Amino acid sequence: MKISVRTRGESFAFDCAAGEKILQAGLRAGFGLPFECGSGTCGTCKAELGDGELDQGWPEAPGRAYVKAERSEFLMCQASPRSDCSIGVRSKVEALPDDVPVPNARSGQIMKMETLTHDVCRIEVSIDKPTSFNAGQFMLVSAEAVVGQRAYSMANYAATTDSLTFVIKQVSDGGFTDWLFAADRTGIDLELFGPLGVATYAPTLPNNLVCIAGGSGLTPMLSILDHAIQAGHFNTYVGDLFFGVRTERDIYLLNQLKEFATKAPEKLGITVVLSDTAPSAELSAAHPELQFDEGFVHEATMRHMVGRWENVMTYLAGPPPMVDATLRALVMEAKLAPAAIRYDKFS
Amino acid sequence: MNWQQVCTTDDIDEDELEEFEVGEITVLVANAGGEFFAYPPQCPHQETPLSLGMIDGDTLTCIKHLWQWNLKTGEMRDIAESPVLLYDVKVEDGAVLVNLEKELKYDYQ
Repeated sequence: MKISVRTRGESFAFDCAAGEKILQAGLRAGFGLPFECGSGTCGTCKAELGDGELDQGWPEAPGRAYVKAERSEFLMCQASPRSDCSIGVRSKVEALPDDVPVPNARSGQIMKMETLTHDVCRIEVSIDKPTSFNAGQFMLVSAEAVVGQRAYSMANYAATTDSLTFVIKQVSDGGFTDWLFAADRTGIDLELFGPLGVATYAPTLPNNLVCIAGGSGLTPMLSILDHAIQAGHFNTYVGDLFFGVRTERDIYLLNQLKEFATKAPEKLGITVVLSDTAPSAELSAAHPELQFDEGFVHEATMRHMVGRWENVMTYLAGPPPMVDATLRALVMEAKLAPAAIRYDKFS
Repeated sequence: MNWQQVCTTDDIDEDELEEFEVGEITVLVANAGGEFFAYPPQCPHQETPLSLGMIDGDTLTCIKHLWQWNLKTGEMRDIAESPVLLYDVKVEDGAVLVNLEKELKYDYQ
């Protein structure tokens, strides 16, 4: 089916298969339609229906709160066409830049599932076609047993790969993660769409790196640091990772963090920050390659980075309150320019 | 002109933003170092409440995508792609008065 799009001052069209989401069809065709979460939460991808008929998709999508039905608005990430459609999009739409891999649909299978903490697991997914992505990007992931899609960042990096690693935190909302954590899902098929997301690393960046992560927001940082180490970034520049969790039992992948620190000695500092308890002496003694601190991760970042905010590129991921508190600190205290801060806003 | 009292100068801490309702109109008022400015309540980008924004000197920043403006003139800074609109404001005897002759709105289309 044909989707005709009218935006500020331009119009274009692309094909959309039956059952395919309009957002995904447009992105796949190379049009930079507006979106952020791509999974029904943020409302950024809303558009206005002119002619034609839609299947609106996931009825409980939280992003519907931003949609005005009286203006025929709908979420492009949820809706599929039932006929040829004409739609209006309010933001500017530009062709995807050349250095960004064009997103597409992939079929995958969970090859390995591993428990990391009481509420975090890691899955390795093999995909049907080798895929390129930029470190820091995410995929929309869905399983037949669960309605809707969830956005998960890749935790690994390779220039082209048919194996993606995701680190996933259980959020008890009856959705994807409750299903995933209920049993060993090794061998289960997944549908994926991507890569997506703008908070990416490229080895050409002439900057020191600052990565600030809360909880499962560590995942894209693992990919970014993996790529940066592979690319020799820390031969020239320094890096800092601040990883915030509540308590010691919420820390995961300490061995991988230690491996990163060991590969870039004196250049890459890694600090684990506990918000609810002081780190124990045993923890610090067992992991001399890492630093430990107490408090909110944005506060610890400000303390450790005093006088070191020149020439940085900052990456940020985590729960929305953590992201907002950190953005505030980066703008108001660190005085960073917006262009020096990269994050994907999911809410 | 239709000058309406929106708040008093004591209602907003320095370098903070507050929303006020005046009849049908919602107005966002900034206290920037003791000077007062008034705007429509939402970011010109995506209807995010600008009351969640930040004031640093004469720069106003939206929390969502860090669009920035000169808060005195509405001019774009850095990565912003649209200006913010300003109401005329005057302060008399501690009252912040805003000219609400016409509600300012962004054309999100």
